[in-house]
Amino acid sequence: MQTQQTGITQRRPAAVVREQGATKVERQPQNTVLVWPNLLAIEFLAAALITLGLIILSWVIGAPLEEHANPDITPNPSKAPWYFLNLQELLLHMHPSLAGVIVPGVAILMLMAVPYVDHVVGDTGRWFASENGPRIAGISAVYATVWLVALIIFDEYVGTRRVLESIGIPEVIISIVVPVAVMIGLSWLLVILIRPMQPNAREILIALFTGFVAVYVVLTIIGTAFRGPGMHLFWPWAMPPRH
Amino acid sequence: MAAEAAGPHRDCAVGLFSIAPHLEEMIVIGSVNEQWERLTRTQLWRSLFRQGWPDTPRNRTLAVMGNVFLHLHPVRLPRAALRVTYTFCLGGISFLLFLSLTVTGVLLMFYYIPSVTRAYNDIRDLETVVSFGYFLRNMHRWAAHGMVITVFLHMMRVFYTGAYKPPREFNWVVGVLLLTLTFLLSFTGYLLPWDQLSFWAVTVGTNMAGYAPLIGPEIRFLLLGGFEVGQNALLRFYTLHVIGLPLLVAVFLAVHFWRVRKDGGISISGPL
Repeated sequence: MQTQQTGITQRRPAAVVREQGATKVERQPQNTVLVWPNLLAIEFLAAALITLGLIILSWVIGAPLEEHANPDITPNPSKAPWYFLNLQELLLHMHPSLAGVIVPGVAILMLMAVPYVDHVVGDTGRWFASENGPRIAGISAVYATVWLVALIIFDEYVGTRRVLESIGIPEVIISIVVPVAVMIGLSWLLVILIRPMQPNAREILIALFTGFVAVYVVLTIIGTAFRGPGMHLFWPWAMPPRH
Repeated sequence: MAAEAAGPHRDCAVGLFSIAPHLEEMIVIGSVNEQWERLTRTQLWRSLFRQGWPDTPRNRTLAVMGNVFLHLHPVRLPRAALRVTYTFCLGGISFLLFLSLTVTGVLLMFYYIPSVTRAYNDIRDLETVVSFGYFLRNMHRWAAHGMVITVFLHMMRVFYTGAYKPPREFNWVVGVLLLTLTFLLSFTGYLLPWDQLSFWAVTVGTNMAGYAPLIGPEIRFLLLGGFEVGQNALLRFYTLHVIGLPLLVAVFLAVHFWRVRKDGGISISGPL
């Protein structure tokens, strides 16, 4: 009523049309097949095989069950579930805040950031990006494994803490600065090492991600199979019983 | 012809047909094909299946479109997307394991009470008293370990094929969240048997959370409902394990699957 009196036409949006659709289709439908039966047959077969494997596994191997929980008896060693043993292993070498919270937290955030660091499309869908890719991944896996095993053995038998404490280095440097420097420094060194191959952003990420996966897997294996009483290193076949 | 052959049966069934006239079409005896034709024309059948047997492109299209579960898929997809050596079915296998865990988990809940005085004995009973109880527990445990592994491998596959690139960035982030939730689901389930293994593993795990800068002790207290692993911790882990985290995972799974479709289906390499 008031609008008419002032002579201003009131405008309301009739519809919102996006410049870009919610659905992003990259290519025209060409050389396509029907989902029924082509994809569904593969899915059914995969589901049947996995279900069969799971049934056989559950038939043959029993889930572990120890004695009733007892807060008064601490087993030596006490271990986290296997997928957290990598973090428990880190706990032996650095400040607990770093090992238990900051390193895994930063790792998750860095994983989430991957597509925002490498966003160049064109090589989507190609395993390892390029011919250099598998080589970079191989170098990175070996590099990370060798450094990690060497550092763990050094810390066990020589002891970074023992060495640094004996020359009066403060605690904050021993448990925080040195481990952070080692983690960042070795990652940086890896990127330098592959530089002659003129890697692009995705290939650098392949190097770093492969290093992360190798460290994750090797730490998990060491934590699971090579750590015994007192969390000291033992060969799996010479592992003293838990007590 | 068919009606003649069915004469005697017809007489016997007249009373029934007068109650449910459409059953007549189902029971008339003829050749198998005729029977089939008639069956698929009944009201009951047509209320269940809106299209014919999926042996023509039209019916196959309708079968996928008209089914709430199958319509997660598109009707057609690029031939290259079928390549098993590209996906290794890892996302699908992770989802299958999640479903197996839901089914076995619900069955396990019938036999388990999250009480520090009962939990351990309930697990012992599963092994010795309950029919297939041991098998059920094994299946839940191995599927749980399996899911941690397949979700991680799925992430590796997506990374190494560059499938996280635009427009799929956000779905990669959702995937990383789902990996984290998978770890948490597995960890909260780990305490439930209430044996020495689970008790001390969770003690070690929650001590790690307690090292968080500034708010570590508060986080640990919140997780455990106290200063040490006890009845409150068992109840919190149980509640998170059987309802809280699965609901959260289900929501993120829905977003994850929906975005796969909205971002143009699974990534495939170059022109075919």
